[in-house]
Amino acid sequence: MVAELKYEISQNAYIKLVLHALKHKTTAVNGILLGRVNPQNDSVVEIADSVPLFHSNLALLPSLEIALIMIEEHYGSKGLGIVGYFHANERFDDAELGIVAKNIGDHICRYFPQAAIFLLDNKKLEALPMGKDQSPVMQLYIRDASKNWKLAGPDGGSRLVIKEPAANAVLSDYISSEKWQDVVDFDDHLDDIKKDWLNPELFK
Amino acid sequence: MVSKTEETQLNRLENQVDNGGGGAWEYLCLVRKLKVRRSEKVLKYGLSILNDPKQRSALGPEEWTLYEQVAIAAMDCQCLNVAKDCIKALLKKFPESKRVGRLEGMLLEAKGSWAEAEKAYSSLLEDNPLDQVIHKRKVAMAKAQGNISGAIESLNKYLEIFMADHDAWRELAEIYVSLQMYKQAAFCYEELILSQPTVPLYHLAYADVLYTLGGLENLQTSKKYYASTIDLTGGKNTRALLGVCLCTSAIGQVSKGRNKEDKESPELQSLAAKALEKEYRQKADDKLGLLTSALRSLKI
Repeated sequence: MVAELKYEISQNAYIKLVLHALKHKTTAVNGILLGRVNPQNDSVVEIADSVPLFHSNLALLPSLEIALIMIEEHYGSKGLGIVGYFHANERFDDAELGIVAKNIGDHICRYFPQAAIFLLDNKKLEALPMGKDQSPVMQLYIRDASKNWKLAGPDGGSRLVIKEPAANAVLSDYISSEKWQDVVDFDDHLDDIKKDWLNPELFK
Repeated sequence: MVSKTEETQLNRLENQVDNGGGGAWEYLCLVRKLKVRRSEKVLKYGLSILNDPKQRSALGPEEWTLYEQVAIAAMDCQCLNVAKDCIKALLKKFPESKRVGRLEGMLLEAKGSWAEAEKAYSSLLEDNPLDQVIHKRKVAMAKAQGNISGAIESLNKYLEIFMADHDAWRELAEIYVSLQMYKQAAFCYEELILSQPTVPLYHLAYADVLYTLGGLENLQTSKKYYASTIDLTGGKNTRALLGVCLCTSAIGQVSKGRNKEDKESPELQSLAAKALEKEYRQKADDKLGLLTSALRSLKI
């Protein structure tokens, strides 16, 4: 039986994805999670970085295929692989994992069977500035034995954690200063290749 | 839908206003003309003009256009009190106006009072059954409530009457794509290409949809439309250039072992690859390595 996996996302990877969603409030957005299985503890998947992908036409293949090739190539040389997928729905009160997200998740599972999907939790995001909650504003989905995507069980809260405990405080600050304007995604790059989807200057 | 030049112009103006260099009214007019959605900025700069009596009166009759623009932006940003005040001012000036009635309907939408908004729009439609904006508001309401199939149905009905509304065709196409109904999306883009054959965006979107549908015939047609996009954009569109390479690779995969009679000429993809490499070398030189290995893995 597969041990229950835990997913630990780094602060920067986490914040980048949420800021991306905030930059494009009126559309669905998605992103790729990069990381690896923790070499000392193979029941933990560490997400070291993320790449924001698109804010329009998420269900079209050409840009997705190019993005995945380039992302894999870049991160492969750093010993990191694609370990999951992030999705934020278009509407505030849509908390369902849609078919596009599931399909992309399935595709990623072909290469990394323990891949997870993180779905932006809009209600938690809205409550962020008001609370001291250190848990991520995302829901964790994993595939069960019959390869169906399921919301991680009642203990799901402890299976997706942010590595740095103060991450939400940092995120709240960035939200106040409208830092989302600086996030570049793959769509932006394809529209103007001078824009860098690696976002090297974002957290400097 | 805006061109790159228009977008650059708009962003330049926006930066200018952001940095205190003035030009707020010019910016607001440009946003209106291009029909882009920059509600936070419109709200901020529009309000600053409206709240300054000198600037407001300097607008003359345009003052009322600004009230309308700010009302809509305020609703988009959930600043409903601001929206209410703008609408009140407009009602005072134009008491029987259907145009203001529309804004009142939109305010009900913004509050989430769907049933009341529906009622308001229906009564406005009784007097003016061909009001395109209201018909589209009804589609928007369906979409906002998560009733996507209702939105599709209404939008299709709308397009039977107003078949020249390109934005509506695009919206329908994008809804279809989000539901992975690619054939239906393709049909929408076909309509758009038929009526506006020189707009590269439609060729590109159509090519993307065909590629996603897959199958030899669709891939070959997709490649043609990426090519026509390249033609219409003077070879500057990165997505189209990459599209040509993706199609070539996919066609190669699909037709492995098949009849080689239809062997494609290799010029198109090698030209596309060269153009891409040139672009990346000039503008994104740190990513050139990634591009070349991507092209290599596509066997271009």
